[in-house]
Amino acid sequence: MTTETRTTGFWGDAWRRYRRRPLAVAAAAFVGGLVLVAILSPAIAGTKPVLCRYKGRIYAPCLAYFARDLEPAIFARDRFRGTYPRNLVEKDPESWAVWPLVFQDPYRSVRADEWPGLPANPARDEGRPSRRNLFGTDQAGVDVFAKMVHGTTIALLVGFVSMGIAGTIGVAVGAVGGYFGGWIDMLTSRITEIVMCIPTLVLILAVIAVIEKPTIWHTMAIIGATGWTGIARLTRGEFLRLKESEFVLAARAAGAGPARIMLRHILPNALAPVLVPITFGIASAVLLESSLSFLGFGPPPPTASWGSILNDARSNLAMWWLVVFPGIAIFLTVLAYNLIGEALQESTDPRLREARK
Amino acid sequence: MERASRKDAAGRSPAWAAALLLLGVCVGCGRRESDPLASATAEPAAVQPAANQVARAPAETPPEPFDPPPLATLDRDATWIDRPVRDGMALLREEQARQTAPASVAEALALENDSAAANATILAALGRLPEPGEADLAARVDRHVAGDLGSTNPIMISTSAEFDILGLTGFGLFSFDRRLEPFATSDTVVSWQTSADGLLDKVVLRDDLVWSDGKPITAHDIAFTYRVIMDPRVPVPAVRSGTDQLRWVHAYDDRTVVFFHKQPLATNVWNVNFPVLPKHVYEKTWQDDPTLKDSPEHVKLELAPVCGGPYKIVERQRGQQIVLRRRDDWSTVRGRQVRDAPFFREVRFRIIEDPNTTLLALKSGEIGEMVLLPEQWTTQTKGGDFYERNTKVTAPEWVSFHFGWNIDTPFFADRRVRRAMTYAFDHDAMLEKLCYGLYEPATGPFHETSWMAPKKKPVASKQDLDKAEALLDEAGWTDHDNDGVRDKEINGRLVPFEFTMLVNQQPLRVAICTLLKENLDQIGVRMNVRPTEATVLQQLTQDKKFQAYHGGWGAGTDPDTSDNIWATGAGRNYVGYSNPDVDRLFEEGRREFDRAKRAEKYARIQEILQDDQPYTWLYWRNSFYGFSKSLRGYVFSPRGPYHYSPGFGSLWMPRQE
Repeated sequence: MTTETRTTGFWGDAWRRYRRRPLAVAAAAFVGGLVLVAILSPAIAGTKPVLCRYKGRIYAPCLAYFARDLEPAIFARDRFRGTYPRNLVEKDPESWAVWPLVFQDPYRSVRADEWPGLPANPARDEGRPSRRNLFGTDQAGVDVFAKMVHGTTIALLVGFVSMGIAGTIGVAVGAVGGYFGGWIDMLTSRITEIVMCIPTLVLILAVIAVIEKPTIWHTMAIIGATGWTGIARLTRGEFLRLKESEFVLAARAAGAGPARIMLRHILPNALAPVLVPITFGIASAVLLESSLSFLGFGPPPPTASWGSILNDARSNLAMWWLVVFPGIAIFLTVLAYNLIGEALQESTDPRLREARK
Repeated sequence: MERASRKDAAGRSPAWAAALLLLGVCVGCGRRESDPLASATAEPAAVQPAANQVARAPAETPPEPFDPPPLATLDRDATWIDRPVRDGMALLREEQARQTAPASVAEALALENDSAAANATILAALGRLPEPGEADLAARVDRHVAGDLGSTNPIMISTSAEFDILGLTGFGLFSFDRRLEPFATSDTVVSWQTSADGLLDKVVLRDDLVWSDGKPITAHDIAFTYRVIMDPRVPVPAVRSGTDQLRWVHAYDDRTVVFFHKQPLATNVWNVNFPVLPKHVYEKTWQDDPTLKDSPEHVKLELAPVCGGPYKIVERQRGQQIVLRRRDDWSTVRGRQVRDAPFFREVRFRIIEDPNTTLLALKSGEIGEMVLLPEQWTTQTKGGDFYERNTKVTAPEWVSFHFGWNIDTPFFADRRVRRAMTYAFDHDAMLEKLCYGLYEPATGPFHETSWMAPKKKPVASKQDLDKAEALLDEAGWTDHDNDGVRDKEINGRLVPFEFTMLVNQQPLRVAICTLLKENLDQIGVRMNVRPTEATVLQQLTQDKKFQAYHGGWGAGTDPDTSDNIWATGAGRNYVGYSNPDVDRLFEEGRREFDRAKRAEKYARIQEILQDDQPYTWLYWRNSFYGFSKSLRGYVFSPRGPYHYSPGFGSLWMPRQE
């Protein structure tokens, strides 16, 4: 009768136990929702059509929000000047367009009559949340909802990219050290300890001051390049433990080389505990990015980032909408990652599993 | 003697002062006039004699030894013309005696500053000097500075914070009133005469002046300080500019000092004005340690300087606060009161960098004054939490901000491109939204209300994207490769119009640059905004390693101080501007003594600069100050409420009943 559970395997087993935790499932769904928002951000809030037909061809100007160069040049040539609604109709009466759900731009204030009949965004401290500006506007009149929707990309990227880098380095260093042992282990362990001593925040500030055009990618690279130590230590421990196990011995007896044993045999078995610090790492990377933006060292303006909205609030706390909305978003995101991490830990740890039973 | 007046506490800041402020403002203006940052490398921009237009490097060699003729020969050969010796405080009293206050103090204190009329009432009622016995002479005032001192040595003065503090502790012969008219101050000078040929200035000092260590202040201190300032080994950040126009300074006796000029210039009245060191303290040590700060003796002096002004430094906590105390031996010498004592017994400077924290400190009564940012003025200081303890005032100030275009880059070499940038920018959105409608548009280096500005009022720049695009097309910047970005073939290579704008991290300035980025994006020009730490920004602009930057300049006491921004190859000519006409006009302006004729030269310079647009001028940042309700006597000049005579000296606190 036990065959059924056995066939689900380790990961299936873990997933089954993960599913039993409603909070963790909600957290995973939340992160999934964020991914969707990030991918669809130009369709949710923007001033460029998602799709439009102009002079006989179909374009997607909204892609400019992902990369500036993706905006079709024809609109620059025809002097649209970033204002689509009127120009499309005036310059080609045959044209049609699919507009984003919310006509607001994350980088600039919407001008008066840009969307026929609508006034300009309120600026200064007058931009309270309203039907037009769901989350209000900042001092320059930029819509906070649009900023937050587009800022989701950064919040997600920072976590995944930096922990992707950290995970790769950490697993590689830990695996090599743990598997080979001896002087190699000695060397990798010392390197790990040295890197642990580097204060990430200070390093980021220093690098931003030095490089010509600092972008969010530099920040991610630094968080990744310094945040792998915990992962390396865990991986090393797992490898130390597993390399003595019977299945490794069997693989070695069958003539498998070290690379094959490490990647094919040990790593899949060591991955579960390693996932946990990565998840927590994502949470702390999101927080770090927000702190950096809050301090004014985030991605270059006018890149929308949750932390930078908080920073705008500092000069006028009466503009509560600049605090509340990004604050909630950061809080929920970090909480979600932490919940996922905790659930992963408990659903993959055999000892906890025994205890639960 | 109840009646106390303080002259010239902060007013000794002549031509070089202007220059320093310039730099300071350029990088760190938002918080305060200049901040700690400017201290890094305020490079002296020397103005060379007429014959040598190109070489404008700082003096590398000390002046040739000079054998001054005997005083009798000078007196025989020269025709001396008496120059004004005045008391800044008395001048202000006279001015105020002619005015009547529109409201009582109580009425003014009850007002909220929400209109021009309210502002004028508050300024007139609270700006008055005290009646005899009205001021609390035991009071302490808590002032705010946005950065620590780089040095307490007066000849190292450079940043606005150093001005605020060393202006009170330093000794000087000259000053200027709130119309920037120079005079010798009667606190320290008996007589000032200039020779008819304009090549000599003779000053006779008072005999009742002492340093804070009790030694007399003499003419020898002044001659000695000149030699120290002009020694290239001494790292003087700013004061050498102007002083280097002197041929020599010689003390004939303890009280008589003569300044020998290289040429008769209208700017000589500013060149004779430099801070003074105590000779008896430094003469033995400065040759061994020309840095004036490394040797043990100098380290000790840095902590407890010997001061010649009305205040001395009694406490210094780095990055926290600096406390000054009134020197009784300044006003009372040999048991006799010889000049009026300053109103405050103690001046405490709190060092707070963050503007939001500063405002909290003002509201809680921890500090008594601060500069308010537009957002603070409009949204943070209108409620009871502010007016409970404080009030606020505004007045015009000659500090302007701009985008500087590096003319040595392929982008901005063409005047049409620079004009296109000015047309592309949404000036109205900046003034109305970002600056809360508080700042006035700027169109050139000289303030409209100044004597050197053109009579014809310039038209404020407005956004005109059609004109901007037409100018760019004309200059050859069109979209050749059809990628939506303008480009131009330069040396056989297609260069896209994408450049980086350097800016201080202050939020308002970043917002202004972001606005320009969006405006340029509309016409196919890509701009990256790079917020940069203040000292890095300063270094990059000085080294000309930039394409464009956003910064500002404070006005000097004389329009000639702008020469080091616009003259070919000048020290602060970061944008690489060069126009022989401008060079010539500055030269002529310096040699012209008639104010009206001088004004024509500078007006012409302003017009040429407006045509050439090496800068896109943005706005004049007027003075916006919050003051504690217990303070009185603030009067504003084009250089703010402090940096002239009497400046800070006119502030006082009423006696508690």
